[in-house]
Amino acid sequence: MRLTLAPLLIIALGITTLLSTGPAAAQPSAETSLVRVNVTSQSYNFLRPWEKKAPSTRRGLGAVLEGEKVITTAELVANATYLELEMPDTGEKVTADIAGIDYEANLAVLTPDSDASDFLASRVPLEIASEATVGDTLEIWQIEDNGTPVATSVKIIKVDIGPYFLDSSYFLTYEVYGALQSRSGSFTLPVVKDGKLAGLLLGYSSDDQVSDVLASPIIERFLEELKKDEYTGFPHLGVNYAQTLDEQLRGYAGLNGHEGGVYITKVVKGSSADDAGLEVGDVLLKLGDYEIDSRGNYDHPLYGKINLSHIVRGGASTGDVIPIEILRDGKPLTLEATLKHKRPEDYLVDPYMFNRGPRFLTEGGLIFQELTLPYLKSWGGKWRTQAPFKLMYINANQEEFEENGRDKVVFLSQVLRTPSTLGYERLSHLIVTKVNDREINNIRDLDQALKSPIDGIHKIEFDSFPRMIFVDAEEAAAVNQQLLQLGIPELKRLD
Amino acid sequence: MKTLKLISCQRQSLAPVPLQTPNFSWRTPVSTPKLAPFKSYPLRQMFDQPSRFVALLFCSVFIALGVTSPSTAPAQPLSISDYSAIVRVENDALVPDYRTPWNAGRTSGGSGSGFLVGENQFLTNAHVVSDSRILYIKKVGDPKPYKARILHIAHDCDLAMLEVEDYSAFEGVKPLELGGIPQLNTTVIAVGYPVGGERISVTRGVVSRIDFRPYSHSAVDYHLTIQVDAAINPGNSGGPVLQDEKVVGVAFQGYSGAVAQNVGYMIPVPVIERFLKDVEDGSYDHYVDLALSEFNILNPAQRRALKLPNDGIGVMVANVNADGSASDALQVGDVLLEINGHPIFSNGFVDINGEQVNMNEIVERKFAGDVINLKILRDQQEKEIELTLKRFLPYLIQGKQYDKKPRYLVFAGLVFQPLDLNLYAAHSIDDMHVRYLFNYFVAEELYKDIEEPVVLTSVLPAAINTHLRGYAGSVVEEVNGYPIKKLSDLYDALNDDEARDYHVFKIAGQGRPIVLDASLVESAHDQILAEYKVPNDYSNE
Repeated sequence: MRLTLAPLLIIALGITTLLSTGPAAAQPSAETSLVRVNVTSQSYNFLRPWEKKAPSTRRGLGAVLEGEKVITTAELVANATYLELEMPDTGEKVTADIAGIDYEANLAVLTPDSDASDFLASRVPLEIASEATVGDTLEIWQIEDNGTPVATSVKIIKVDIGPYFLDSSYFLTYEVYGALQSRSGSFTLPVVKDGKLAGLLLGYSSDDQVSDVLASPIIERFLEELKKDEYTGFPHLGVNYAQTLDEQLRGYAGLNGHEGGVYITKVVKGSSADDAGLEVGDVLLKLGDYEIDSRGNYDHPLYGKINLSHIVRGGASTGDVIPIEILRDGKPLTLEATLKHKRPEDYLVDPYMFNRGPRFLTEGGLIFQELTLPYLKSWGGKWRTQAPFKLMYINANQEEFEENGRDKVVFLSQVLRTPSTLGYERLSHLIVTKVNDREINNIRDLDQALKSPIDGIHKIEFDSFPRMIFVDAEEAAAVNQQLLQLGIPELKRLD
Repeated sequence: MKTLKLISCQRQSLAPVPLQTPNFSWRTPVSTPKLAPFKSYPLRQMFDQPSRFVALLFCSVFIALGVTSPSTAPAQPLSISDYSAIVRVENDALVPDYRTPWNAGRTSGGSGSGFLVGENQFLTNAHVVSDSRILYIKKVGDPKPYKARILHIAHDCDLAMLEVEDYSAFEGVKPLELGGIPQLNTTVIAVGYPVGGERISVTRGVVSRIDFRPYSHSAVDYHLTIQVDAAINPGNSGGPVLQDEKVVGVAFQGYSGAVAQNVGYMIPVPVIERFLKDVEDGSYDHYVDLALSEFNILNPAQRRALKLPNDGIGVMVANVNADGSASDALQVGDVLLEINGHPIFSNGFVDINGEQVNMNEIVERKFAGDVINLKILRDQQEKEIELTLKRFLPYLIQGKQYDKKPRYLVFAGLVFQPLDLNLYAAHSIDDMHVRYLFNYFVAEELYKDIEEPVVLTSVLPAAINTHLRGYAGSVVEEVNGYPIKKLSDLYDALNDDEARDYHVFKIAGQGRPIVLDASLVESAHDQILAEYKVPNDYSNE
């Protein structure tokens, strides 16, 4: 028995070897070019800013790229406390670091921990498929729990901009059609065209079998930007516009005799458009090389009609100079915008915040915070109607409140019942204007102002009822110590 | 009504009674279950309306203010020998529809109760006779309806006085007398014509609580109320609650069974007497108020900072509403020490005849033109201040309106209406600027700049406005260069006889204007009015 089996075993082994090395090296596959990304994440509790919520674990897939790195979505690794890469077949794991991340573009590059820098050596890197358009067939790659690859064919039915991870960030998206079954609960699935990475799956609707795919041109640009000395993000113009399908508006705006054009309805303060001198009421006719139609689209050579925002967000870098042809008071004018990216922390109300906690300060049981969008979103699914209205109003009308010289909105978020806060227990969501007679434009101002009580008393002023409260400085300091003993780990976070 | 949740009520259980600390609760969400005025079936659909801002306007608790209490011994249940003074009030109402403000409205109606208080003077609730088209009064044991009309109606305290055209049938009927404030745990009976049958009904219970509560009819007023556990049901509204054969209240509102059991409310005698006194001169002049909000001084650091002795006296002025009674005399940071000689405790209460009541109680029973004396502390100096009381109108947009025709303007199919609660409730508006104007109209004194916000509420679709339908539900700030501060400004801006190519409407929060080609407007305008059966394009009465 033993003698007859031996040659058979050798043959079998030989075949296996041929399959795993020979042709596979030339042709990347789900088996050879993907790794699992296991993420433990923990977000801050914006309502109790000194603490984090319970950690949770997710796993997803990453695509291995040239240079021993892995691309995946930022959403997967946001607020990560522990990250690891896992070989889908052997289950071998290694700790990973984030080499680059962009929450707006929803992309992250991961690298194995330096102790295991050759972890990806056995993987076949994927190239980026720079072009894909309507009608193309793509494959969505998944891996079963047992390591078996699964590829699902889908077809691109539409190319336009769509939301990625943050509801305010729109980028190039492939809408693909085809039935998809989720395997092993994976988050972020690589999408491939002819063996090259064409994108990352953002979401799938089982009702209409349509999925949104983060498109590879954005991945390409992200990787390019990462090569720069300083990562400056994807630029944006910083305008809102209205369509000009309304003939009466066209006539009023002097657009008779022109083809397209959109009416500028908002210019974000400090944005590329603002610096370029664009104003509300201008009509945007041409951006860069492209004529803008009355719906706000332009003719993309590959995709056809697509939204103008892609000209800047997907087609240019920060620092690029782009001509803007407009009509102002019926007269043509050409402006030049030097493109830039406004960072979240440069907004009055931070639109997003990951991997760091909100800035706050407690004094004697009064909890102060800087207003952020995640704070408002802490009200859950119905936050738009249930979050405190005044704070919502400020978020929606930031320019109005920036005019007062504020760079952040400091507000009293809640009051803990302490000896210092007697009579103030029910106050919440009040905008702080002054403390100890000093203007409060951010949490650091507050921290400074609290160092100078007036006759031993902190005077805190608000923009609405009850307008001012007073707290004994010495007593508040004692209360602060008690709060630390009671388990509030830190009294303030100023950075 | 989504937005209202923000400043007011989650519908919860009875939980905290907001008025235990009245001046504080004004600024914090008050959980107020839905109060239904007890008119009759069909019950009027009530809306949840917060009273956060306006609560301050009418705050007071009126226990024992010059009202003689009845004997301290528990009162005996009474037997009324003669029910003839207690009548049924039937109202056919015409309720305007704020979605089609040019229409007459929908017919509605129901019945409540009432009682004779003087010669041809029948007292009932305002909500029983609101939006009335035809009114009848029916007498016990007499099938004949007697045509009636409203002499006076006070929506802010939910009382009305009626008269019948032919009083002869009531000659000889003895009007009911008013009593005082009944003691807790004494027996009362409620008499009226509630659901459950046609004939007069009597229910019995005890006085459960005397408190300062919102009056749901206007949705913005707070006055003294008395809670009883006698069954008070739809149809009881306007009927008397009696003790020792005297009226101790007018049944007027309660909770649905789903919220609370055996909780009915009546309007107590001090409120009734104030109403009767107010109308003595032939017209109703409404409540007056200080139009300020005060903040308790409970924190020792507050006392020291405001240089107050540690005597438990004083509240801090936290807001003084412009154009209110106190706007010229008081400022934020003043400390109120005394009101008409009564020291004000640091929780905002005063002592009147041994009872602790809210300081606004002093104001509550005053009339327009009456004077209030205040002692205040400002910059460490005590000052005596005299305030002449007047009505404060800006809060009215946050209250329900009755007996008024909706005002509107239609222009090329765009329907404009002034903002008030009726409008806000009829159109589900989620525009943030409209919500801001509505909710903060008083609190942030927006009324100083805008008399009444004008809202583009809907668009009657036609070729000329086909691109404008998305703008419904937003506030008009400026038209043809004119700022719009009230509905008539809009009319004037569109009819100024200037020659122009375009009418341009600036909309709050919208970067693009609404533009109408003037040459197209004229024919389109009339066509739209005809097509949508809008008889008049402007009504501003």
